[in-house]
Amino acid sequence: MAAANTEAAAAAPPTAAPAAPVQVPRGQVDLVDFIDWTGVECLNQDSSHSIVNALKQIFRDDEGLYLASDSDEQLLIYIPFMQVVKLHSALFKGPEEEGPKTVKLFSNKEHMGFSNVNDYPPSDTLELSSNHLAENKPVQLKYVKFQNVRSLTIFIEGNQSESDVTKIHKIALYGTTVDTTNMKDLKKIEEH
Amino acid sequence: MVLEATMICIDNSEWMRNGDYAPSRFQAQADAVNLICGAKTQSNPENTVGVMTMAGKGVRVLVTPTSDLGKILACMHGLEVGAEANLAAAIQVAQLALKHRQNKRQQQRIIAFIGSPVKYDKKVLETIGKKLKKNNVALDIVDFGESDDEKPEKLEALIAAVNSSDSSHIVHVPPGDNALSDVLLSTPIFTGEEGGSGFAASAAAAAATGASGFEFGVDPNVDPELALALRLSMEEERARQEAIAKKAAEDTSNTENKDHASSSNNDSVMAEAEPATNAATDDKKEQPKDDDDLLQQALAMSMEGGASGSATVADADMAEAGAVDPDLALALQMSVQDASMSSDSDMSKVFEDRSFVTSILNSLPGVDPNDPSVKDLLASLHGQGEQEKKEDKSDKPEDEKK
Repeated sequence: MAAANTEAAAAAPPTAAPAAPVQVPRGQVDLVDFIDWTGVECLNQDSSHSIVNALKQIFRDDEGLYLASDSDEQLLIYIPFMQVVKLHSALFKGPEEEGPKTVKLFSNKEHMGFSNVNDYPPSDTLELSSNHLAENKPVQLKYVKFQNVRSLTIFIEGNQSESDVTKIHKIALYGTTVDTTNMKDLKKIEEH
Repeated sequence: MVLEATMICIDNSEWMRNGDYAPSRFQAQADAVNLICGAKTQSNPENTVGVMTMAGKGVRVLVTPTSDLGKILACMHGLEVGAEANLAAAIQVAQLALKHRQNKRQQQRIIAFIGSPVKYDKKVLETIGKKLKKNNVALDIVDFGESDDEKPEKLEALIAAVNSSDSSHIVHVPPGDNALSDVLLSTPIFTGEEGGSGFAASAAAAAATGASGFEFGVDPNVDPELALALRLSMEEERARQEAIAKKAAEDTSNTENKDHASSSNNDSVMAEAEPATNAATDDKKEQPKDDDDLLQQALAMSMEGGASGSATVADADMAEAGAVDPDLALALQMSVQDASMSSDSDMSKVFEDRSFVTSILNSLPGVDPNDPSVKDLLASLHGQGEQEKKEDKSDKPEDEKK
Protein backbone atom coordinates (compact mmCIF):
# COMPACT_ATOMS: atom_id res chain seq x y z
CA MET A 1 0.00 0.00 0.00
CA ALA A 2 2.72 2.39 1.00
CA ALA A 3 4.85 1.26 -1.91
CA ALA A 4 2.07 2.00 -4.40
CA ASN A 5 1.61 5.48 -3.00
CA THR A 6 5.23 6.52 -3.32
CA GLU A 7 5.60 5.06 -6.79
CA ALA A 8 2.57 6.90 -8.01
CA ALA A 9 3.81 10.12 -6.51
CA ALA A 10 7.22 9.71 -8.11
CA ALA A 11 5.64 9.16 -11.53
CA ALA A 12 3.47 12.27 -11.25
CA PRO A 13 4.84 15.61 -12.46
CA PRO A 14 7.04 17.27 -9.86
CA THR A 15 5.37 19.62 -7.40
CA ALA A 16 6.06 23.30 -7.98
CA ALA A 17 7.17 24.68 -4.64
CA PRO A 18 10.39 23.24 -3.20
CA ALA A 19 9.05 24.03 0.24
CA ALA A 20 6.30 21.44 -0.08
CA PRO A 21 6.17 19.23 3.00
CA VAL A 22 7.65 15.77 2.67
CA GLN A 23 5.18 12.96 2.35
CA VAL A 24 6.40 10.40 4.77
CA PRO A 25 5.45 7.00 3.41
CA ARG A 26 2.55 5.33 5.18
CA GLY A 27 3.57 3.35 8.20
CA GLN A 28 7.14 4.57 8.13
CA VAL A 29 8.94 6.95 10.41
CA ASP A 30 11.76 9.33 9.84
CA LEU A 31 14.78 7.47 11.17
CA VAL A 32 16.74 10.61 12.04
CA ASP A 33 15.87 10.03 15.70
CA PHE A 34 17.55 6.66 15.67
CA ILE A 35 20.87 7.76 14.25
CA ASP A 36 23.81 7.27 16.60
CA TRP A 37 25.47 10.63 16.15
CA THR A 38 28.72 9.71 17.86
CA GLY A 39 29.52 7.24 15.13
CA VAL A 40 28.50 9.22 12.08
CA GLU A 41 31.44 9.67 9.71
CA CYS A 42 31.87 11.19 6.30
CA LEU A 43 34.98 10.76 4.19
CA ASN A 44 36.05 13.47 1.75
CA GLN A 45 33.73 16.08 3.15
CA ASP A 46 34.61 19.75 3.14
CA SER A 47 35.18 20.67 6.77
CA SER A 48 33.07 23.80 6.50
CA HIS A 49 30.21 21.95 4.83
CA SER A 50 29.92 18.83 6.86
CA ILE A 51 27.59 15.84 7.05
CA VAL A 52 25.65 17.42 9.89
CA ASN A 53 24.24 19.98 7.49
CA ALA A 54 22.57 17.25 5.50
CA LEU A 55 21.47 14.86 8.21
CA LYS A 56 20.44 16.73 11.32
CA GLN A 57 16.87 17.85 11.88
CA ILE A 58 17.05 21.62 11.64
CA PHE A 59 20.20 21.89 9.55
CA ARG A 60 18.91 19.79 6.72
CA ASP A 61 15.86 21.97 6.17
CA ASP A 62 17.94 25.09 5.89
CA GLU A 63 18.56 25.80 2.22
CA GLY A 64 21.77 27.62 2.98
CA LEU A 65 23.46 24.66 4.68
CA TYR A 66 24.68 21.75 2.62
CA LEU A 67 27.17 18.92 2.58
CA ALA A 68 29.98 19.42 0.08
CA SER A 69 32.77 17.12 -1.06
CA ASP A 70 36.41 18.16 -0.86
CA SER A 71 39.15 16.62 -3.01
CA ASP A 72 36.89 15.13 -5.66
CA GLU A 73 33.22 14.48 -6.23
CA GLN A 74 32.86 11.24 -4.24
CA LEU A 75 31.54 10.99 -0.73
CA LEU A 76 31.42 8.11 1.68
CA ILE A 77 28.95 8.47 4.53
CA TYR A 78 28.72 6.02 7.42
CA ILE A 79 25.59 6.14 9.57
CA PRO A 80 25.22 3.78 12.54
CA PHE A 81 21.85 3.40 14.21
CA MET A 82 21.06 3.11 17.87
CA GLN A 83 18.94 0.08 17.25
CA VAL A 84 18.19 -2.28 14.44
CA VAL A 85 15.94 -0.76 11.79
CA LYS A 86 14.26 -1.68 8.54
CA LEU A 87 14.88 0.80 5.75
CA HIS A 88 12.03 1.57 3.42
CA SER A 89 12.98 4.63 1.42
CA ALA A 90 15.49 7.42 1.23
CA LEU A 91 15.22 11.06 0.27
CA PHE A 92 18.03 13.06 -1.30
CA LYS A 93 17.81 16.76 -1.90
CA GLY A 94 20.43 18.78 -3.70
CA PRO A 95 21.10 21.41 -6.34
CA GLU A 96 20.29 20.54 -9.93
CA GLU A 97 23.87 20.49 -11.13
CA GLU A 98 25.96 19.35 -8.23
CA GLY A 99 23.48 17.06 -6.59
CA PRO A 100 24.24 13.36 -6.29
CA LYS A 101 23.60 11.06 -9.24
CA THR A 102 24.79 7.54 -8.53
CA VAL A 103 24.29 6.46 -4.96
CA LYS A 104 25.27 3.06 -3.62
CA LEU A 105 23.97 1.84 -0.30
CA PHE A 106 25.65 -0.76 1.84
CA SER A 107 23.96 -2.26 4.83
CA ASN A 108 25.94 -3.35 7.90
CA LYS A 109 29.38 -2.79 6.44
CA GLU A 110 31.62 -1.11 8.99
CA HIS A 111 34.35 1.38 8.22
CA MET A 112 34.56 1.17 4.49
CA GLY A 113 37.09 3.19 2.61
CA PHE A 114 37.17 4.46 -0.96
CA SER A 115 39.55 1.65 -1.85
CA ASN A 116 37.27 -1.22 -0.92
CA VAL A 117 33.98 0.37 -1.86
CA ASN A 118 34.00 -1.53 -5.13
CA ASP A 119 34.92 -4.83 -3.54
CA TYR A 120 31.44 -5.56 -2.22
CA PRO A 121 28.20 -5.55 -4.14
CA PRO A 122 25.97 -2.78 -2.81
CA SER A 123 22.71 -3.61 -1.10
CA ASP A 124 21.06 -1.15 -3.44
CA THR A 125 22.02 1.34 -6.12
CA LEU A 126 20.06 4.51 -6.83
CA GLU A 127 20.28 6.55 -9.98
CA LEU A 128 18.98 9.96 -9.04
CA SER A 129 17.76 12.43 -11.61
CA SER A 130 17.41 16.14 -11.07
CA ASN A 131 13.69 15.53 -10.64
CA HIS A 132 14.33 13.35 -7.66
CA LEU A 133 16.49 16.00 -6.12
CA ALA A 134 13.93 18.76 -6.50
CA GLU A 135 10.79 16.82 -5.71
CA ASN A 136 11.27 16.28 -2.00
CA LYS A 137 9.77 12.81 -2.33
CA PRO A 138 11.50 9.73 -0.99
CA VAL A 139 12.88 7.12 -3.36
CA GLN A 140 11.95 3.56 -2.59
CA LEU A 141 14.66 1.07 -1.73
CA LYS A 142 14.84 -2.69 -2.09
CA TYR A 143 13.05 -3.31 1.16
CA VAL A 144 14.04 -6.96 1.40
CA LYS A 145 17.71 -6.07 1.49
CA PHE A 146 17.30 -3.70 4.39
CA GLN A 147 15.46 -5.79 6.94
CA ASN A 148 18.08 -5.86 9.61
CA VAL A 149 20.11 -2.70 9.40
CA ARG A 150 22.51 -1.72 12.16
CA SER A 151 24.52 0.71 10.08
CA LEU A 152 24.23 2.20 6.62
CA THR A 153 27.03 3.27 4.35
CA ILE A 154 26.15 5.68 1.57
CA PHE A 155 28.64 5.94 -1.28
CA ILE A 156 28.04 8.83 -3.63
CA GLU A 157 29.88 8.02 -6.77
CA GLY A 158 29.17 11.05 -8.91
CA ASN A 159 27.01 14.10 -9.37
CA GLN A 160 24.59 15.33 -12.02
CA SER A 161 26.95 17.56 -13.93
CA GLU A 162 30.21 15.62 -13.42
CA SER A 163 31.69 18.58 -11.60
CA ASP A 164 34.40 18.35 -9.01
CA VAL A 165 32.22 19.15 -6.07
CA THR A 166 29.09 17.31 -5.00
CA LYS A 167 26.58 19.20 -2.88
CA ILE A 168 23.73 17.69 -0.89
CA HIS A 169 21.12 19.70 0.97
CA LYS A 170 19.32 16.90 2.69
CA ILE A 171 19.46 13.18 3.31
CA ALA A 172 16.47 11.59 5.03
CA LEU A 173 15.85 7.93 5.72
CA TYR A 174 12.44 6.39 6.27
CA GLY A 175 11.61 3.04 7.74
CA THR A 176 10.54 1.23 10.86
CA THR A 177 12.32 -0.01 13.90
CA VAL A 178 12.62 -3.65 14.73
CA ASP A 179 11.27 -4.13 18.21
CA THR A 180 14.25 -4.55 20.43
CA THR A 181 14.72 -3.83 24.09
CA ASN A 182 14.95 -0.16 24.78
CA MET A 183 17.50 -0.10 27.56
CA LYS A 184 16.03 3.05 29.06
CA ASP A 185 12.76 1.29 29.69
CA LEU A 186 14.44 -1.47 31.55
CA LYS A 187 13.56 -1.01 35.21
CA LYS A 188 14.67 -2.89 38.23
CA ILE A 189 12.09 -5.24 39.69
CA GLU A 190 11.02 -4.01 43.11
CA GLU A 191 11.67 -6.56 45.76
CA HIS A 192 9.28 -6.84 48.65
CA MET B 1 45.09 13.81 23.89
CA VAL B 2 43.82 12.94 20.42
CA LEU B 3 43.34 9.24 19.89
CA GLU B 4 45.71 8.47 17.05
CA ALA B 5 47.30 5.65 15.14
CA THR B 6 50.62 6.74 13.68
CA MET B 7 52.86 5.13 11.08
CA ILE B 8 56.43 6.40 11.05
CA CYS B 9 58.28 6.02 7.74
CA ILE B 10 62.04 5.89 8.22
CA ASP B 11 64.44 6.84 5.47
CA ASN B 12 67.26 4.29 5.61
CA SER B 13 68.71 4.98 2.18
CA GLU B 14 72.38 5.41 1.35
CA TRP B 15 72.15 9.15 1.98
CA MET B 16 71.75 8.43 5.68
CA ARG B 17 75.39 7.51 6.08
CA ASN B 18 76.30 11.18 6.00
CA GLY B 19 77.59 12.70 9.22
CA ASP B 20 76.28 16.25 8.94
CA TYR B 21 73.88 15.49 11.76
CA ALA B 22 75.76 14.13 14.76
CA PRO B 23 76.67 11.25 14.91
CA SER B 24 75.16 10.22 11.58
CA ARG B 25 71.91 11.11 9.86
CA PHE B 26 70.53 7.68 10.52
CA GLN B 27 71.31 7.81 14.24
CA ALA B 28 69.78 11.25 14.59
CA GLN B 29 66.71 9.95 12.84
CA ALA B 30 66.52 6.92 15.13
CA ASP B 31 66.70 9.16 18.20
CA ALA B 32 63.94 11.33 16.86
CA VAL B 33 61.78 8.29 16.15
CA ASN B 34 62.25 7.03 19.69
CA LEU B 35 61.25 10.38 21.09
CA ILE B 36 58.15 10.62 18.93
CA CYS B 37 57.02 7.14 19.94
CA GLY B 38 57.43 8.04 23.57
CA ALA B 39 55.54 11.29 23.17
CA LYS B 40 52.65 9.73 21.31
CA THR B 41 52.14 6.87 23.72
CA GLN B 42 52.40 9.18 26.69
CA SER B 43 49.91 11.72 25.45
CA ASN B 44 47.24 9.07 25.18
CA PRO B 45 47.73 5.50 26.44
CA GLU B 46 45.51 4.16 23.68
CA ASN B 47 47.62 5.67 20.93
CA THR B 48 49.43 3.22 18.70
CA VAL B 49 52.59 3.74 16.71
CA GLY B 50 54.01 1.63 13.90
CA VAL B 51 57.34 1.80 12.10
CA MET B 52 58.31 1.00 8.53
CA THR B 53 61.30 1.50 6.28
CA MET B 54 61.30 3.26 2.96
CA ALA B 55 64.61 1.90 1.66
CA GLY B 56 67.09 -0.75 2.69
CA LYS B 57 65.61 -4.13 1.84
CA GLY B 58 62.59 -2.37 0.45
CA VAL B 59 59.41 -0.86 1.75
CA ARG B 60 58.69 -3.03 4.77
CA VAL B 61 56.56 -2.64 7.85
CA LEU B 62 58.78 -3.38 10.83
CA VAL B 63 56.11 -3.00 13.49
CA THR B 64 52.36 -2.70 12.94
CA PRO B 65 50.74 0.03 15.02
CA THR B 66 51.12 -0.94 18.66
CA SER B 67 51.22 0.82 21.99
CA ASP B 68 54.11 -1.33 23.18
CA LEU B 69 57.12 0.98 23.26
CA GLY B 70 59.56 -1.88 23.78
CA LYS B 71 58.62 -3.52 20.50
CA ILE B 72 59.17 -0.28 18.65
CA LEU B 73 62.58 0.38 20.20
CA ALA B 74 63.64 -3.20 19.53
CA CYS B 75 62.78 -3.07 15.85
CA MET B 76 64.89 0.05 15.36
CA HIS B 77 67.88 -1.93 16.45
CA GLY B 78 69.94 -3.57 13.72
CA LEU B 79 68.50 -1.67 10.78
CA GLU B 80 70.79 -1.54 7.79
CA VAL B 81 71.30 1.49 5.58
CA GLY B 82 71.23 1.24 1.81
CA ALA B 83 69.41 1.56 -1.49
CA GLU B 84 66.98 4.30 -2.44
CA ALA B 85 63.86 5.46 -0.68
CA ASN B 86 60.55 4.88 -2.44
CA LEU B 87 58.29 7.58 -1.05
CA ALA B 88 55.12 6.88 -3.04
CA ALA B 89 55.07 3.17 -2.28
CA ALA B 90 55.92 3.84 1.34
CA ILE B 91 52.98 6.19 1.81
CA GLN B 92 50.65 3.69 0.20
CA VAL B 93 51.85 0.91 2.44
CA ALA B 94 51.55 3.18 5.47
CA GLN B 95 47.99 3.99 4.46
CA LEU B 96 47.17 0.33 4.20
CA ALA B 97 48.71 -0.42 7.58
CA LEU B 98 46.63 2.34 9.13
CA LYS B 99 43.50 1.14 7.41
CA HIS B 100 43.80 -2.18 9.15
CA ARG B 101 44.34 -0.71 12.58
CA GLN B 102 42.57 -2.51 15.36
CA ASN B 103 40.81 0.45 16.91
CA LYS B 104 38.85 2.12 14.15
CA ARG B 105 38.18 5.14 16.33
CA GLN B 106 41.79 6.28 16.07
CA GLN B 107 42.70 9.14 13.77
CA GLN B 108 45.17 8.17 11.08
CA ARG B 109 48.54 9.87 10.81
CA ILE B 110 51.73 9.24 8.84
CA ILE B 111 55.06 10.77 9.89
CA ALA B 112 57.65 10.63 7.11
CA PHE B 113 61.34 11.36 7.56
CA ILE B 114 62.65 12.41 4.18
CA GLY B 115 66.43 12.75 4.07
CA SER B 116 67.17 11.69 0.52
CA PRO B 117 66.32 13.63 -2.63
CA VAL B 118 62.72 13.41 -3.85
CA LYS B 119 62.60 12.13 -7.41
CA TYR B 120 58.87 12.56 -7.97
CA ASP B 121 57.10 15.41 -9.71
CA LYS B 122 55.09 17.94 -7.83
CA LYS B 123 51.98 16.64 -9.64
CA VAL B 124 52.52 13.08 -8.49
CA LEU B 125 53.04 14.25 -4.92
CA GLU B 126 49.90 16.34 -5.05
CA THR B 127 47.88 13.35 -6.22
CA ILE B 128 49.27 11.32 -3.36
CA GLY B 129 48.37 14.13 -0.99
CA LYS B 130 44.82 14.36 -2.29
CA LYS B 131 44.34 10.66 -1.86
CA LEU B 132 45.49 10.91 1.75
CA LYS B 133 43.13 13.79 2.40
CA LYS B 134 40.25 11.90 0.84
CA ASN B 135 40.83 9.05 3.24
CA ASN B 136 41.18 11.40 6.20
CA VAL B 137 44.85 10.63 6.84
CA ALA B 138 47.07 13.38 8.26
CA LEU B 139 50.70 13.64 7.19
CA ASP B 140 53.73 15.11 8.96
CA ILE B 141 57.00 15.51 7.07
CA VAL B 142 60.46 15.98 8.54
CA ASP B 143 62.60 17.42 5.78
CA PHE B 144 66.27 16.97 6.64
CA GLY B 145 69.51 15.76 5.07
CA GLU B 146 69.77 16.30 1.32
CA SER B 147 68.33 19.54 0.14
CA ASP B 148 68.34 20.25 -3.55
CA ASP B 149 66.54 23.22 -5.08
CA GLU B 150 63.13 21.76 -5.41
CA LYS B 151 62.83 19.44 -2.47
CA PRO B 152 61.35 21.92 0.03
CA GLU B 153 58.85 23.19 -2.54
CA LYS B 154 57.76 19.72 -3.54
CA LEU B 155 57.24 18.70 0.05
CA GLU B 156 55.36 21.91 0.83
CA ALA B 157 53.08 21.17 -2.11
CA LEU B 158 52.49 17.68 -0.77
CA ILE B 159 51.56 19.02 2.64
CA ALA B 160 49.29 21.64 1.10
CA ALA B 161 47.44 18.90 -0.78
CA VAL B 162 47.01 16.74 2.33
CA ASN B 163 46.29 19.44 4.80
CA SER B 164 42.77 19.79 6.08
CA SER B 165 42.21 22.18 8.95
CA ASP B 166 45.85 22.36 9.91
CA SER B 167 46.33 18.74 10.90
CA SER B 168 49.37 18.17 8.68
CA HIS B 169 52.74 19.81 9.24
CA ILE B 170 56.16 20.03 7.68
CA VAL B 171 59.43 20.81 9.45
CA HIS B 172 62.64 21.67 7.64
CA VAL B 173 65.71 20.83 9.74
CA PRO B 174 68.99 22.22 8.42
CA PRO B 175 72.19 20.47 9.44
CA GLY B 176 73.94 22.00 12.42
CA ASP B 177 74.78 21.69 16.06
CA ASN B 178 71.28 21.07 17.30
CA ALA B 179 70.25 17.47 17.34
CA LEU B 180 67.36 16.52 15.10
CA SER B 181 65.29 15.42 18.08
CA ASP B 182 65.80 18.71 19.91
CA VAL B 183 64.60 20.72 16.95
CA LEU B 184 61.56 18.51 16.58
CA LEU B 185 60.58 18.82 20.23
CA SER B 186 59.28 22.34 19.76
CA THR B 187 57.39 21.67 16.56
CA PRO B 188 53.70 20.82 16.14
CA ILE B 189 54.78 17.28 15.30
CA PHE B 190 55.45 16.76 18.94
CA THR B 191 53.05 19.11 20.53
CA GLY B 192 50.11 18.22 18.33
CA GLU B 193 47.23 20.50 17.51
CA GLU B 194 46.17 21.04 21.06
CA GLY B 195 49.62 22.24 21.94
CA GLY B 196 49.90 19.96 24.93
CA SER B 197 51.60 16.74 25.69
CA GLY B 198 53.16 16.51 29.11
CA PHE B 199 56.18 14.69 27.76
CA ALA B 200 56.97 17.28 25.14
CA ALA B 201 56.30 20.21 27.41
CA SER B 202 58.56 19.07 30.19
CA ALA B 203 61.28 17.99 27.84
CA ALA B 204 61.27 21.25 25.89
CA ALA B 205 61.49 23.54 28.93
CA ALA B 206 58.65 25.55 27.39
CA ALA B 207 60.31 28.79 26.37
CA ALA B 208 56.98 30.27 25.42
CA THR B 209 54.97 29.81 28.55
CA GLY B 210 57.68 29.94 31.14
CA ALA B 211 56.03 27.35 33.35
CA SER B 212 54.47 24.08 32.36
CA GLY B 213 53.79 22.11 35.48
CA PHE B 214 57.23 22.78 36.91
CA GLU B 215 58.47 26.03 38.33
CA PHE B 216 60.90 27.74 35.97
CA GLY B 217 60.09 25.12 33.32
CA VAL B 218 62.91 22.90 34.48
CA ASP B 219 62.27 19.60 36.15
CA PRO B 220 64.00 19.62 39.54
CA ASN B 221 64.43 15.87 39.22
CA VAL B 222 66.15 16.16 35.88
CA ASP B 223 68.47 19.00 36.77
CA PRO B 224 68.42 20.03 40.43
CA GLU B 225 71.42 22.34 40.23
CA LEU B 226 69.99 24.32 37.39
CA ALA B 227 66.64 24.56 39.13
CA LEU B 228 68.36 25.79 42.30
CA ALA B 229 70.40 28.33 40.39
CA LEU B 230 67.28 29.64 38.72
CA ARG B 231 65.45 29.94 42.00
CA LEU B 232 68.33 31.83 43.64
CA SER B 233 68.70 34.22 40.77
CA MET B 234 64.95 34.76 40.83
CA GLU B 235 64.99 35.77 44.45
CA GLU B 236 67.99 38.00 44.03
CA GLU B 237 66.28 39.72 41.15
CA ARG B 238 63.11 40.20 43.15
CA ALA B 239 65.02 41.84 46.01
CA ARG B 240 66.79 44.13 43.58
CA GLN B 241 63.56 45.14 41.93
CA GLU B 242 61.95 45.99 45.25
CA ALA B 243 64.84 48.25 46.11
CA ILE B 244 64.49 50.03 42.77
CA ALA B 245 60.74 50.31 43.17
CA LYS B 246 61.15 51.87 46.59
CA LYS B 247 63.40 54.56 45.22
CA ALA B 248 61.12 55.37 42.36
CA ALA B 249 58.07 55.44 44.63
CA GLU B 250 55.44 58.16 44.45
CA ASP B 251 52.08 56.56 44.97
CA THR B 252 51.04 54.59 48.06
CA SER B 253 47.54 53.31 47.34
CA ASN B 254 47.39 49.58 47.90
CA THR B 255 45.62 47.99 45.00
CA GLU B 256 44.03 44.61 44.98
CA ASN B 257 45.33 41.68 43.02
CA LYS B 258 48.78 41.88 44.45
CA ASP B 259 49.35 38.19 43.79
CA HIS B 260 48.51 38.60 40.15
CA ALA B 261 50.78 41.58 39.81
CA SER B 262 53.74 39.97 41.49
CA SER B 263 53.32 36.77 39.53
CA SER B 264 53.17 38.65 36.22
CA ASN B 265 56.32 40.40 37.35
CA ASN B 266 57.93 37.02 37.91
CA ASP B 267 56.79 35.77 34.52
CA SER B 268 58.31 38.69 32.66
CA VAL B 269 61.65 38.13 34.34
CA MET B 270 61.47 34.37 33.90
CA ALA B 271 60.57 34.65 30.23
CA GLU B 272 63.83 36.47 29.68
CA ALA B 273 65.74 33.96 31.74
CA GLU B 274 64.07 31.05 29.94
CA PRO B 275 65.76 31.27 26.53
CA ALA B 276 69.06 31.47 28.34
CA THR B 277 68.31 28.46 30.48
CA ASN B 278 66.94 26.57 27.49
CA ALA B 279 70.18 27.13 25.65
CA ALA B 280 72.05 26.13 28.78
CA THR B 281 70.09 22.88 29.02
CA ASP B 282 70.76 22.08 25.38
CA ASP B 283 74.44 22.77 25.74
CA LYS B 284 74.58 20.59 28.77
CA LYS B 285 73.19 17.68 26.87
CA GLU B 286 75.69 17.96 24.06
CA GLN B 287 78.93 18.73 25.92
CA PRO B 288 78.86 18.37 29.70
CA LYS B 289 80.07 21.69 31.12
CA ASP B 290 81.35 22.59 34.52
CA ASP B 291 78.48 23.12 36.93
CA ASP B 292 79.94 26.37 38.19
CA ASP B 293 80.13 27.75 34.68
CA LEU B 294 76.47 27.00 34.16
CA LEU B 295 75.51 28.64 37.42
CA GLN B 296 77.47 31.72 36.47
CA GLN B 297 75.88 31.76 33.09
CA ALA B 298 72.38 31.43 34.50
CA LEU B 299 72.98 34.21 37.02
CA ALA B 300 74.52 36.50 34.42
CA MET B 301 71.64 35.89 32.01
CA SER B 302 69.00 36.52 34.65
CA MET B 303 70.75 39.72 35.73
CA GLU B 304 70.72 40.99 32.18
CA GLY B 305 67.12 39.99 31.89
CA GLY B 306 66.39 41.74 35.14
CA ALA B 307 67.93 45.00 33.92
CA SER B 308 65.40 45.32 31.17
CA GLY B 309 62.72 43.95 33.44
CA SER B 310 63.29 46.56 36.09
CA ALA B 311 62.30 49.29 33.66
CA THR B 312 58.85 47.79 33.45
CA VAL B 313 58.75 47.50 37.21
CA ALA B 314 59.60 51.15 37.60
CA ASP B 315 56.72 52.00 35.34
CA ALA B 316 54.43 49.73 37.30
CA ASP B 317 52.47 51.06 40.20
CA MET B 318 54.54 51.32 43.29
CA ALA B 319 51.72 49.81 45.27
CA GLU B 320 52.37 46.44 43.68
CA ALA B 321 55.89 46.30 44.97
CA GLY B 322 54.80 47.66 48.28
CA ALA B 323 51.91 45.29 48.65
CA VAL B 324 54.21 42.31 48.42
CA ASP B 325 55.96 43.21 51.63
CA PRO B 326 53.91 44.74 54.47
CA ASP B 327 57.02 46.21 56.08
CA LEU B 328 57.89 47.86 52.85
CA ALA B 329 54.37 49.24 52.67
CA LEU B 330 54.73 50.77 56.08
CA ALA B 331 58.06 52.28 55.16
CA LEU B 332 56.57 53.76 52.04
CA GLN B 333 53.66 55.21 53.93
CA MET B 334 55.92 56.85 56.43
CA SER B 335 58.14 58.31 53.76
CA VAL B 336 55.12 59.77 52.03
CA GLN B 337 53.85 61.18 55.28
CA ASP B 338 57.16 62.82 55.87
CA ALA B 339 57.01 64.28 52.42
CA SER B 340 53.58 65.72 53.03
CA MET B 341 54.58 67.06 56.33
CA SER B 342 57.57 68.84 54.95
CA SER B 343 55.29 70.88 52.73
CA ASP B 344 53.78 72.52 55.80
CA SER B 345 55.48 75.37 57.51
CA ASP B 346 58.32 74.63 59.81
CA MET B 347 56.57 76.46 62.59
CA SER B 348 53.65 74.07 62.79
CA LYS B 349 56.09 71.23 62.91
CA VAL B 350 57.64 72.75 65.95
CA PHE B 351 54.30 73.13 67.62
CA GLU B 352 53.58 69.44 67.00
CA ASP B 353 56.20 68.71 69.52
CA ARG B 354 54.35 68.97 72.77
CA SER B 355 57.32 68.84 75.04
CA PHE B 356 58.94 71.76 73.28
CA VAL B 357 55.86 73.89 73.71
CA THR B 358 55.59 72.99 77.36
CA SER B 359 59.21 73.95 77.93
CA ILE B 360 58.63 77.31 76.31
CA LEU B 361 55.59 77.93 78.45
CA ASN B 362 57.53 77.00 81.54
CA SER B 363 60.16 79.59 80.74
CA LEU B 364 57.52 82.28 80.43
CA PRO B 365 56.88 84.23 83.65
CA GLY B 366 53.35 84.09 84.96
CA VAL B 367 52.34 81.09 82.88
CA ASP B 368 51.42 77.96 84.72
CA PRO B 369 51.30 74.90 82.40
CA ASN B 370 48.80 73.28 84.72
CA ASP B 371 46.35 76.11 84.34
CA PRO B 372 43.27 74.84 82.53
CA SER B 373 43.22 77.83 80.24
CA VAL B 374 46.79 77.12 79.26
CA LYS B 375 45.90 73.52 78.65
CA ASP B 376 43.03 74.57 76.44
CA LEU B 377 45.37 76.82 74.56
CA LEU B 378 47.77 73.98 74.03
CA ALA B 379 45.00 71.75 72.74
CA SER B 380 43.79 74.40 70.39
CA LEU B 381 47.30 75.00 69.17
CA HIS B 382 47.52 71.48 67.85
CA GLY B 383 44.16 71.77 66.19
CA GLN B 384 44.73 75.19 64.63
CA GLY B 385 45.94 76.20 61.21
CA GLU B 386 49.19 77.68 60.08
CA GLN B 387 48.53 81.37 60.57
CA GLU B 388 47.50 81.19 64.19
CA LYS B 389 50.51 79.14 65.03
CA LYS B 390 52.70 81.65 63.34
CA GLU B 391 51.14 84.49 65.30
CA ASP B 392 51.61 82.71 68.60
CA LYS B 393 55.16 81.96 67.77
CA SER B 394 55.86 85.56 66.92
CA ASP B 395 54.19 86.63 70.21
CA LYS B 396 56.20 84.31 72.33
CA PRO B 397 59.68 85.34 71.20
CA GLU B 398 58.66 88.95 71.87
CA ASP B 399 57.56 87.95 75.30
CA GLU B 400 60.80 86.17 75.85
CA LYS B 401 62.74 89.16 74.76
CA LYS B 402 60.97 91.15 77.37
